[in-house]
Amino acid sequence: MGRATFIVTFLFLPMTIFVVFIVNPFLQAFYYSLTDWRGFSRDMNFVGLANFNTMLADPVFLTALRNSLLLCLVLPTAILTAAFLIAFTVTAGGPFVGAIRGLKGGGFHRVIAFFPYTIPSIVIGLIWAQVYDPTRGLLNGVLTGIGMTQFESFPWLGDTETAMGVSMFVIFWGLVGFYVVLFVASIKGIPGETYEAARIDGAGRARMVVSITLPQMLSSIQTSYVYLGLTAIDAFGFMMVLNPQGGPNYSTLTITQYLYMTAFGKGQFGVATAMGVLLAVIILIYSGLIFGIFRALGGRNERNAVA
Amino acid sequence: MKRLTKYRAGMGAASALALTLVLTSCAGSSSPEGPAGEVTADNPFGLAEDAPIEVVVFDGGYGTDYVSFAADVLNESFPGVDVTVSPSGAIAQELQPRFVAGDPPDLFSNDGAGPIPTDTIIDQLATFDDVWDAENLDGVKISDAVFPNVRDDGTYDDKFIAANYVMTVIGLWYSNSLLEQHGWDVPQTWDELLELGAKAKEEGLYLFTFGKEAATYYEWMLLDSAIKEGGLEVITDIANLEPDAWSHPAVVEVYKAMEEAIAAGYMMPGGAGTQFTQAQAQWSQDQKALFYPSGSWIENEMKDATAPGFEMTVAPFPTLTTDSALPYTAIQAGAGVPFEIPADAENVAGAKELLRTMLSKEVASHFSETTLAPTIVKDTVPADGFGSTALASTMGSMESAGDDIFNWLLSNKSPAYYGIDHGVPFISFLSGDMTAEEYLAEVQAMSDKVAADESVKKLDFTF
Repeated sequence: MGRATFIVTFLFLPMTIFVVFIVNPFLQAFYYSLTDWRGFSRDMNFVGLANFNTMLADPVFLTALRNSLLLCLVLPTAILTAAFLIAFTVTAGGPFVGAIRGLKGGGFHRVIAFFPYTIPSIVIGLIWAQVYDPTRGLLNGVLTGIGMTQFESFPWLGDTETAMGVSMFVIFWGLVGFYVVLFVASIKGIPGETYEAARIDGAGRARMVVSITLPQMLSSIQTSYVYLGLTAIDAFGFMMVLNPQGGPNYSTLTITQYLYMTAFGKGQFGVATAMGVLLAVIILIYSGLIFGIFRALGGRNERNAVA
Repeated sequence: MKRLTKYRAGMGAASALALTLVLTSCAGSSSPEGPAGEVTADNPFGLAEDAPIEVVVFDGGYGTDYVSFAADVLNESFPGVDVTVSPSGAIAQELQPRFVAGDPPDLFSNDGAGPIPTDTIIDQLATFDDVWDAENLDGVKISDAVFPNVRDDGTYDDKFIAANYVMTVIGLWYSNSLLEQHGWDVPQTWDELLELGAKAKEEGLYLFTFGKEAATYYEWMLLDSAIKEGGLEVITDIANLEPDAWSHPAVVEVYKAMEEAIAAGYMMPGGAGTQFTQAQAQWSQDQKALFYPSGSWIENEMKDATAPGFEMTVAPFPTLTTDSALPYTAIQAGAGVPFEIPADAENVAGAKELLRTMLSKEVASHFSETTLAPTIVKDTVPADGFGSTALASTMGSMESAGDDIFNWLLSNKSPAYYGIDHGVPFISFLSGDMTAEEYLAEVQAMSDKVAADESVKKLDFTF
């Protein structure tokens, strides 16, 4: 392959796709956010930053913003912590003699953990909505069955105290398996000799996790953090099934849901795109923060690795 | 490595903007006039013999078979016309890009949980005046063949743009056999309703049950009771976003009566976390609640989850006092399921011809027989309602109401016209987390906000 062909294939083509399908829609969306577009025709007038004012003066939007940020703060940390602990246990948590290996039956645990990830989010939402049903649901059936009568007809998804928590649990349940599998692969990539050397030096399990496993996995964890943050801030599929209107007193309403309602329910596509633009800014800041934090955590390691 | 991860993050960020992407649909070309056929008595709109018709129908309680049936009937006269009936679960979402691209379907039913807000597309729709002036397949002028108010209900800003197809009654649904078994009468006032609530509670039954997606049905009941008490000015003020609409004494008193019923425990608990069809099954299958406010689609919607011998029946909503402005028998009934034609559709003539077919006796009777709901075409339902107590009582309730039939909800001339959604605070009210006073203050604030928004064009509603 000639140099020119190489540049065209590997640089020019992806760049074109990137500009046409990513940069261009983004700029278009930014322009729409400055208009009073109502969505069903091509008529629109330039209104400056009015949509952003409308959006930020709307208490429901601010609630949605807070909910989305909460999801983005809690879910990645919870899911990745759990996934790491499970992954470490099934790959390197076995007997402390001989070669490093996982628990007996680790493969089975991996399949169990991964299983929910194979179900579409809509179906997961439908299943859990039935589990949480106040009168016919499995959860209250079990709780009242073991004598906790205070949960009779308790609306898990309809109480402001619990709706967000139980919705987060559903997302956690649905996604944790994928990160278990990802981390298992990452841990297996760490040479067994490193662990053996550490063990000879007298390191216990906790020490090995902190000093060997985690530092070597930083780049997987970083990528997972970014990706999971985006999934959490979106959360559209799960939330639309669990509480399509946004939950009791809007306690589970996400920006993406409110964007959808504003666009298709109220015909205010200008305001809705303004929300989309703000969402993009939040995601860029979030990604930047994660990169910054991980650079601070693992910068020395990475330089060594490259050198 | 690092650069690659960054690039990936960028890709990720961009894909999270998928929703934004939806809003940036690309341009398409709109074709000018469709091919025209000759205008004759049998072809009043000049449908060309080979011009295909595309219809998008909301696939809800009534399904889409009735439109396919109409298409078959149309094909008897126009064998060369290819009619495509596409079901849709989300009309606004599916049709939005097509409207922008100037490539909308020829006919669509703007119905379901996600209809296109009418006020955003008034200027883009064709009018139905010529359809109402035409004769249907039975040779009857359509304006004479259908109920008289349909044209008014479908007129916005003096333009007749929505042909609502299904006659719907909104009322209080109950099991006739269950009430008879206990020897209870249908309550006609809120006082009687509350008394019955106490009796039912002794038997371990509730008055009502609700589900989160359909909590708003209870608002229909409360507003209809308030309208019957205070007259149609109640809903006129609400629809016109008047500053004190929600503090009308009739409104306040009815909401307070409901607050009393909730506080007394007559509402089955847990509704805020219950899916609406589950809640409806608590009423129609488990029979734990006596009443459910809804529209006449309820029978068809719950046909697989109704206890045997249920005898589903509709009653008017109770009045507040016995000397209310409208009598107890007054009921909300009107045409729902609006069919609309985009003005720049390829085959406007075809859409109108299909609608003309749907408004003929053969197709309308078929609809009623299969869905157990009346259409706007008169005299197509036998007295026994094809053996359905629900359909028979639907027809009976309209008859008893006589001239006291009103309609604000079904023609979408309600706060929903401006996209105002009370769903979330109303669920808090039904759950007992919000008093009537707090709730009414909140919805008044929602109304005031739209009233003050100059970018929203206001209509002047009268009822």
